[in-house]
Amino acid sequence: MPHCRVLTCFLLASLLILSSCGITAWCQTPPSSVASNQTGPAPNPAAAPSLTAPLPVKDANPPSADDLAKGDPGGTLTGTIADVSVSDAKKGLTLGDAINQIGQNKVAINFVWTLVAGFLVMFMQAGFATVETGLCRAKNANHTMMMNFMVYGFGLFAYWVCGFAFQMGGVGATANLGGTAPLSSEFAVNLLGKSWGIFGTRGFFLTQAGTYDVGVMVLFLFQMVFMDTATTIVTGAAAERWKFAAFAISTFFLGAITYPLFGNWAWGGGWLSQLGANFGLGHGYCDFAGSGVVHAVGGLTALAVSMIIGPRLGKYNRDGSSNAMPGHDIMIVLVGCFILAFGWFGFNPGSTLGASGNGALRIGSIAVNTMLAGCTGSFGAILYMWIRYGKPDASMSGNGLLAGLVAITAPSGFVNSISAAIIGLIAGVLVCLSVEFFDRVAKVDDPVGAISVHGINGIWGVISVGLFADGKSNYGGSWNGVTGSVTGLFYGDPGQLVAQLIGVATLLGFVFGVSFVFNWLVHVVVGQRVSPQSELEGLDVPEMGALGYPEFVLKAYRA
Amino acid sequence: MKILGLALIIVGWLIPVLALAFTSSNSARLILSLVGIGVTLVGILGVLNKAHLEHAIWKR
Repeated sequence: MPHCRVLTCFLLASLLILSSCGITAWCQTPPSSVASNQTGPAPNPAAAPSLTAPLPVKDANPPSADDLAKGDPGGTLTGTIADVSVSDAKKGLTLGDAINQIGQNKVAINFVWTLVAGFLVMFMQAGFATVETGLCRAKNANHTMMMNFMVYGFGLFAYWVCGFAFQMGGVGATANLGGTAPLSSEFAVNLLGKSWGIFGTRGFFLTQAGTYDVGVMVLFLFQMVFMDTATTIVTGAAAERWKFAAFAISTFFLGAITYPLFGNWAWGGGWLSQLGANFGLGHGYCDFAGSGVVHAVGGLTALAVSMIIGPRLGKYNRDGSSNAMPGHDIMIVLVGCFILAFGWFGFNPGSTLGASGNGALRIGSIAVNTMLAGCTGSFGAILYMWIRYGKPDASMSGNGLLAGLVAITAPSGFVNSISAAIIGLIAGVLVCLSVEFFDRVAKVDDPVGAISVHGINGIWGVISVGLFADGKSNYGGSWNGVTGSVTGLFYGDPGQLVAQLIGVATLLGFVFGVSFVFNWLVHVVVGQRVSPQSELEGLDVPEMGALGYPEFVLKAYRA
Repeated sequence: MKILGLALIIVGWLIPVLALAFTSSNSARLILSLVGIGVTLVGILGVLNKAHLEHAIWKR
C-alpha cells in the first residue's frame, strides 16, 4: 500500500509539472495577431480611415505573457486589446473589428440586463404563489399553489405557440437588442383614414419567418414572463372555488389571445401606440412596464371570472352582509410581498430592454421610482387601515405595497421621484377603498384583493402617466414614433391624458368584454365552479388528490 | 340583462375611439373618453354584475 501511495504521489506531481509547463508554454506563445500587428506600418493619417485596414495601435500596451503568467489578482490586466475579436487573423485588428466589438458589447450588455431582469420577473411567480396561498384557507393550499405553479406552464406554452407572434410579430427592430428585425409583419386595417395595427403575424413557435434569432429569443423571454404575471393574477381572485380544468382553459386563452392582443396594441406597434402619430394625442398610449398591459389585463380578467363563478360559500349572509374569511398564513403572505417587490426591479427597470444606449441609463431613476412607490403605497394602506379600523392590517399593508408597485409600473420610466411617491400613496389608499367597494357594494368575492391591487391600480397607473409624466425622459429621442419626451397634463400636454384614457376605455371595454364572453362560454360548456361539497371539504383532495397540510389538518380534527 | 351589459361595455369603449374621427379637439376627446369609461363601468358594475347578483349563491 505505501508503494501505491508513493506511486500515486509521483504521478500527481508529474502531472502537475507537465501541466505547469503546458500553461507556461501556452502563455509564451505569441499573443494574438492583434498584438503582433501593433508594430506594423502606420497608415497615412491624412487618408480617410478604412474599416478594413489594420489599425496602427501604439498605446494599448497589452500585458506581456510574463505578466499574465503571474496572474491578475487586481483585475488590471484582464480584458485588453488582445481580447478584441478580429475577423482576419492575418490582417490583425482593423477599425471595423473595433467598432463591431463596441456594437456587440452594447448589445451584450443589453442582452444580459434584459435576461437577468426577465429572470427576476419569473421569480415573481413564487411571490404570487405564496401571497395567494397564504391569503387562502389551509384546506385549499395545495389547489391554490398548484394553480400558481401550473399557470407558468400553461401560459408559457400558449405564448410560445401563438401569443408572442400576435403580440410582437410586427414590432419591427428593437434598437437596444440589436435586431428582432424578423418581427416585421403586422396585420392592420384601414379605418377613419388611418392604419390600425391589430396583431402581429411573425414568430409562431419562434421558428417561423426567420424568428429563430438571438434578439427575438431575448425579447420572447422577457415578454413571456410579463404575460405569465398577468395570468397568475386571475388565480388569486378566483381561488378556493375555481375548477382546475376551467382554470387551465381560461389561462391558455388569456396567454394566447386576450393578453397578446392588448399587448400588441400597446407595445407591439398596434393602434393604441399610434394614437400620437395618427391623431396627435401626445406619444400615443404609453405604458412603460405594464400597469395596463399586464396588471389591468390580469385584474379585469379576474373581475370577469369572479363575477361568473360567484362568491365562496359562507362569504355572504342572506341579507347581503359579508363575512371576513382570513387567510391561513400571514407570514408567507408578507414574504411573498417582499419577493414581488424584489422581482419588480426586473419588471420596471428591465423594461428599458437594455442598460446601454437610447436613454437606458435611466434605469437608476426607474428603480428608485419603483422602490418609492412601493414604500408610499404601503404607507397609504397602513394609514388608512389604522385610522379607519384602529390597527395597521398586515395583509392590507402588503396589498398597499403591491398597489404602489402596480401603479408605478406604467409611469416609472416617465416621472420624477416626487410624482412616484404621490402615485404610490394614492394607490395605497385606493386599494383599501376598492377592496371595501368590491367586498361590500359590488359583492364580488376576491379572496386576495387581486382585482383592486392589479385591476384598479393598474388603471390608476395608466392614468397617472397622462398626469405626471414630466417630459424629461428621452429614450432615443422619441417614443411610439413621436419625437420628444412623454409629457403629462401637469407638465403641459393634455393630449397624453386623452391617449391614456382611451387605453383605459379599451381595457374596460375590450379586455373585460372578451374575457367575460370567453369565460362565460367555459362556464356553460365545462363549468367554472367546483361542487358545493368539494368547496366545503376544501379543494385539495377533490381537485388535486392530496392535502397541502395533511398533518396540520389531522391535528385540527383531533382538537 | 347580460346582453345589455355587454352592449354597454362595447359602446362605452367605442365612444372615445370613434370620437377620434369626429373631433380634433382635445377637450372634446377628453370629455368623450370620460363618458365612454363611465358607460363601460355602468355596463360592468351596474348591469352585468347586478344580473349575476340576482342569482347569487347566498340568496338561494
